[in-house]
Amino acid sequence: MINESRRKFLKTSALIGAGITGLSTKSVKAEPKYVLDENRMGVLIDTTVCIGCRKCEWACKTAHDLPTQPIESYDDRTVFEKMRRPDAKALTVVNEYPPKETDQFPINVKVQCMHCDKPACVSACIVGAFSKEENGSVIWDTDKCIGCRYCMVACPFQIPAFEFEKAWHPDIRKCDFCFDRTKEGKLPACVEICPMEVLTYGTRKSLIERAHQKISLYPDRYIKHIYGEFEVGGTSWLYLASKDFHELQFPKLGTNTAPGVSEAIQHGIFAYFVPPVALYALLGGVMWINKKKAESNKNKEVHHE
Amino acid sequence: MKKLIIIILFLAPILIQSQTKLNSTHANLNLTCSNCHSCTIPTKENPCLKPCPRESLIRIDQKPEEGPRVIVIDKLRDTDIYAPVKFSHLAHAEMADMTGGCRTCHHYNPPGNVIGCSDCHETTRKRADITKPDLKGAYHQQCMNCHRSWSGKTDCNDCHVVKEKADLKPVKVKDEKSKRIHPEVKAPEKISFNTKTDKGKFVTFYHNDHTGLFGLECSQCHSNESCAKCHSQIKKPAEIKKSFAEQHKKCSSCHEVKTGCNKCHSNKESGPFNHKISTGFDLAKFHSKLNCARCHTTPSKFTGLIKDCVTCHGTWSWDNFDHKKTGLVLNETHGELDCESCHKDKSYANPTCTDCHDDLTYPKNLPGKLIKR
Ligand code: SF4
Ligand code: SF4
Ligand code: SF4
Repeated sequence: MINESRRKFLKTSALIGAGITGLSTKSVKAEPKYVLDENRMGVLIDTTVCIGCRKCEWACKTAHDLPTQPIESYDDRTVFEKMRRPDAKALTVVNEYPPKETDQFPINVKVQCMHCDKPACVSACIVGAFSKEENGSVIWDTDKCIGCRYCMVACPFQIPAFEFEKAWHPDIRKCDFCFDRTKEGKLPACVEICPMEVLTYGTRKSLIERAHQKISLYPDRYIKHIYGEFEVGGTSWLYLASKDFHELQFPKLGTNTAPGVSEAIQHGIFAYFVPPVALYALLGGVMWINKKKAESNKNKEVHHE
Repeated sequence: MKKLIIIILFLAPILIQSQTKLNSTHANLNLTCSNCHSCTIPTKENPCLKPCPRESLIRIDQKPEEGPRVIVIDKLRDTDIYAPVKFSHLAHAEMADMTGGCRTCHHYNPPGNVIGCSDCHETTRKRADITKPDLKGAYHQQCMNCHRSWSGKTDCNDCHVVKEKADLKPVKVKDEKSKRIHPEVKAPEKISFNTKTDKGKFVTFYHNDHTGLFGLECSQCHSNESCAKCHSQIKKPAEIKKSFAEQHKKCSSCHEVKTGCNKCHSNKESGPFNHKISTGFDLAKFHSKLNCARCHTTPSKFTGLIKDCVTCHGTWSWDNFDHKKTGLVLNETHGELDCESCHKDKSYANPTCTDCHDDLTYPKNLPGKLIKR
């Protein structure tokens, strides 16, 4: 109890501190861990294979001790009637896009954190709670998080979610690439359970190679685009699809990374998601930070790469 | 016990298959090494095989009844929560027979015997080679492609029973080799399409011409059709308005659909393919017994062949052409003439006789020795 109130006090004071100094970053901001390992892992999601069984959703919740209905209930396909987004209670969700005209099947798309190579959430986090790890995952340190939610606004994919209903010490939640499982040599829970092997786990390099191979082997099946190969500077999770990603509500993003993040935020918001009005207010501040960050990031990259 | 025997029977040929046998079958293949291997000297340790699918290179064609009747899929029994699936191989082979045949599932088969899924697909998901799915993924990718469209459902218990509830009695296989499970699908002789266009409302499609005469394989038109083509349980939207390209998709791989409308469309039902009417080249005279491919050497390409005899026969000489076949024996009467003396134009079909023969000898009294063709 003492610990908790102390932590809350620290969080609050940090936030106030940030407010007083007009978000002048250098003083508050801790240097985040940012490693872009050559052999970082990733997952290739082949949306042409996914059947929307949502076993991955169940496995993800189970692996993260989140409350879940029994696995059989996931056969219920009525959930696809509306589009869902990952939130604090479901770190990954599968959506369905009904078949059009001559399509034989609907298209199911699993959504979760993309584990960006140049993660906007890492750049946006003023206390350095977010980090990009050797194995490709983008994770965060709950103890450092002050609950400012900058990561939510910065993320071009609207991934980080906030446990709003937890009044005491709410936390950011998002797919952590099953950091604890992979550390033990296990596969990410969703990758392990998927009956169709929609999700291929491997080094990002080998996945891109494989994705290109698939496109050239089955030119009728795939469009010539690996989503995440270049988007926002590349992501560890990559997608293949049979039709334009925009039709599957993937945000149209450029290849620009951190320096262009502010642009990416606006894109993301207007393209497919209306965040709480409060977040708009933050936008200005974030843009300003990012401008600052553009310079400091440049220096950082020299160190790390 | 019987179950075991079936599995052993199915696997035995694969296990026994020796290296020497493989080599001898390799030699018989009409392939170069680079068709399948990416390095110059493939070894047993490093065969450097090119990525799947290689079905276009090596294929197997067997009758459904030549394969096993039932296969018990139990390769994943140790890790799975579900009991092994009793898979009716015969029923599925019969259904596949209407589309791509064995290749529908056995999409790659090295020379020799038919191999099963687990010979290529590993049982572990965490593995180095990600160029092909693991066994579980491979099974489901094959099954769900059709089962999804057949039932519109993806529920696990459509095919699976959890171990505790499963009937683990071995499968009974009655020796009914001759009995089909899926009734045979008879190909229609012709289909008359009543199209929506004003001009040329009718398209009479002679199915047997396409499969017989033009040598199309079922899979060339029907490859992406699953059970749902006939047994759709998913309600189709009322009437889908297809684009021109969509409507003509199947025909356009061979037919010029943008300009040659009246080749297929007419105001009444039309007759089957007639080489003379369609191309102006009458096969009846000398070519009636020939297989199309003797002249149309590029598969599925029938246009663009020049009608002149030399196109196929090359330059005629005494050695390579038996003039007797035309009905006129080149004996001493005509034997010493140059071809051009009678055949003034390159068509060769209408010889000029009047240079030597007058009205009396030709055509009234035919010159030379004629034999019955
Ligand atoms: S488990 Fe696999 S097939 Fe099922 S919804 Fe998830 S990604 Fe798709
Ligand atoms: S998708 Fe969003 S939360 Fe995930 S790494 Fe990228 S910026 Fe961060
Ligand atoms: S990698 Fe782990 S945390 Fe991320 S979606 Fe899959 S199961 Fe969930």
